[in-house]
Amino acid sequence: MQPIIRFLCVVSLSAPISVALAETPDQQAMTQWYEGIQTGYQLFAEESKALADTAKRYCADPSDQGHEELETAWLDAFLAWQRVRFVDFGPVETDNRVWQFQFWPDPKNLIARKAKNLLKSEEPITAELIDQSGVAVQGFPMLEYLLFDPKVAQGKMAMPAPKTCTLFTAVAEHAAGNSETLSSDWQAFRSQYLENAQYRDTTIRAGMSGLEILEERRLAQPMGLRGNGKRNPYITDAWRSGNSLRTVEATVSGLRQYFLPGLITLLENTDDKDLADRIDEQFNEVLDNFPAAFVPTTEAMQNDDQFRLLQNLYVDVSQLATQVNDQAAVTLGVVRGFNSSDGD
Amino acid sequence: MSLNRRDFLKASLVGGAAISLTGCSLLPQRTVQHPDQYAGAIALPDGSFAVSAFNRKGETLWQAPVDTRCHSGCNRPAEKETLFFERRPGWSFYVLDANTGERRHRIKAEPGEHFVGHGVFSPDGRWLYATASRYDAGEAIVAVYDATQGYRRETTFELHGIGPHELTLHPDGETLVIGLGGILTHPDYDRIKLNLDTMEPALILMNRRNGQITGRFKPGHHQQSARHVSVHPDGQVYVAFQYQGPLYETPPLLARLEKGSLKEFAFEAKTQKGLANYISSVIAHPESQLVAAASPVGGTAVIFRGDTGELVATTKIADCAGVQALAGGDFLLSSGQGKLVQFGANGQIREIASRSVLWDHHLV
Repeated sequence: MQPIIRFLCVVSLSAPISVALAETPDQQAMTQWYEGIQTGYQLFAEESKALADTAKRYCADPSDQGHEELETAWLDAFLAWQRVRFVDFGPVETDNRVWQFQFWPDPKNLIARKAKNLLKSEEPITAELIDQSGVAVQGFPMLEYLLFDPKVAQGKMAMPAPKTCTLFTAVAEHAAGNSETLSSDWQAFRSQYLENAQYRDTTIRAGMSGLEILEERRLAQPMGLRGNGKRNPYITDAWRSGNSLRTVEATVSGLRQYFLPGLITLLENTDDKDLADRIDEQFNEVLDNFPAAFVPTTEAMQNDDQFRLLQNLYVDVSQLATQVNDQAAVTLGVVRGFNSSDGD
Repeated sequence: MSLNRRDFLKASLVGGAAISLTGCSLLPQRTVQHPDQYAGAIALPDGSFAVSAFNRKGETLWQAPVDTRCHSGCNRPAEKETLFFERRPGWSFYVLDANTGERRHRIKAEPGEHFVGHGVFSPDGRWLYATASRYDAGEAIVAVYDATQGYRRETTFELHGIGPHELTLHPDGETLVIGLGGILTHPDYDRIKLNLDTMEPALILMNRRNGQITGRFKPGHHQQSARHVSVHPDGQVYVAFQYQGPLYETPPLLARLEKGSLKEFAFEAKTQKGLANYISSVIAHPESQLVAAASPVGGTAVIFRGDTGELVATTKIADCAGVQALAGGDFLLSSGQGKLVQFGANGQIREIASRSVLWDHHLV
């Protein structure tokens, strides 16, 4: 099954159950969130496994077509992660799984440094070695580096060089194992989630935080709209493969699929029912920027026409963030604080 | 309510406001140095950072710009100096004129070290003790500076652990009381917690003259990260935890050192949940047995009796984090939404000021 079709099928299957089980709007919303996230995690686990399998196939029997399939499999798995990336609580907190899947940002280029050391090292690449090598090694940005960065891809260590293949496969299997565990842990988390009212606000904050990171750190900062005003594509996600804007699209569609339904349930039970419609509409506005805005950020930062696409996208995302993080947050009484998100 | 008659009379003489929280808007004096002045790190709406001092009406006395977000600090005894440390990983601390906010020094961390946001002085104001981390090795230390020599680094004490945070001085004048969070982080890896399975948090007592560790007390669970500490003038030591396990578990977050072990205080389920496994500040009131603690994550502050653990008052204030003791028995709270609130020992709250700044964790 094509990934996107698989994505739509599972989503539509899970929707009706939630309404049947729920009682109060809060419980209904939480059930919707719980099941939405479960769907997202399942799909993510499947895509990650498919990536690991594709890597093994390609490395056993390399071909140009196999290489393309591997690139596609990497992107599918990474986008499946982007759809659930906003979830920053629950089982994904265990063992820093968020960071294991995606070490980001990487201002010191640790990924390149670690890859270079591992590829040069005499030590055999094993699952244990990956386990011990830290989060910069263990996830999708490392795989992207091995597959797309010219330093590897255009040199003698390019895939399917045995050492690179072994490293790629070991990392892909590590990520696949983690995503499988995450998915099953989420299933086991059901009663803890649904029976603890605290997770209502926690989930709303997760969606808000996902939007804020998207607006500020994944768009405004690289676009030079903050700080020193310099454009910097190298702090976007997936810049090496030119897929940054695809990850943005995936995060927004993930929020729409897995986060928005519960949010709408809550807003429709307040005095501000219109806000639910406006937010729903604004999600569409954001997504209407695609596929036109699927441009590599490294080029878009230097090309005025492409940069305008980014600006339009930014304006739409920014409005969405205002509606959710300011208006809906106030309506629903959820606070995301300066101190509460500090951790000290 | 623990105030006896004498305390009550004293309160009415010193503060006045403690009797009627709705009357005038003046805060009581504070109970420590600079009784008419408070300071806290702030973020401003334009995204810049500063340290701000205010008076008992909540009015700004001065505002000193700083380059990066600060966390907490300390006042230098016998000198008009207020220090603030950069937020973890802190690469420097600022020495400010307590009267004007004018910057006297900016002291950088030694190579390979960073501060974690807290410091305390010896009673004579000469020695500054700052918790810090040797980040490549992940080693917790107390860095000792000589303030009389322009804050020259004098020596280093080893904590034999990971992730130190707040420290304060015991009323014996000799013992540093230190929260050791137990969490390994590294500046290359943002604020990722690298060792949640193998944490060894502790409350540590250390001789401030030779760095000898005289006590090391572990909480009941290895994920109760011991961050913040407070000591009553009678010598009672309190520690506040930030629990690193899941939100649906609600272990005790506050404890008192009693007979060589930590006596943990658990409140009833609603209050425990309200504290959301996270305490940002704990303060033992010097005039009573009351202790206050705040949780910005839960938007909740509590006052409890330190001798019994009995909950006295609880209030909801969004993003409340900083706590200070006020003369007369009340507490002062600050929030990330610009509020300064008097939290009465009787549970009443009164807003002193609301400014368009974000108060960072601690009041000094």
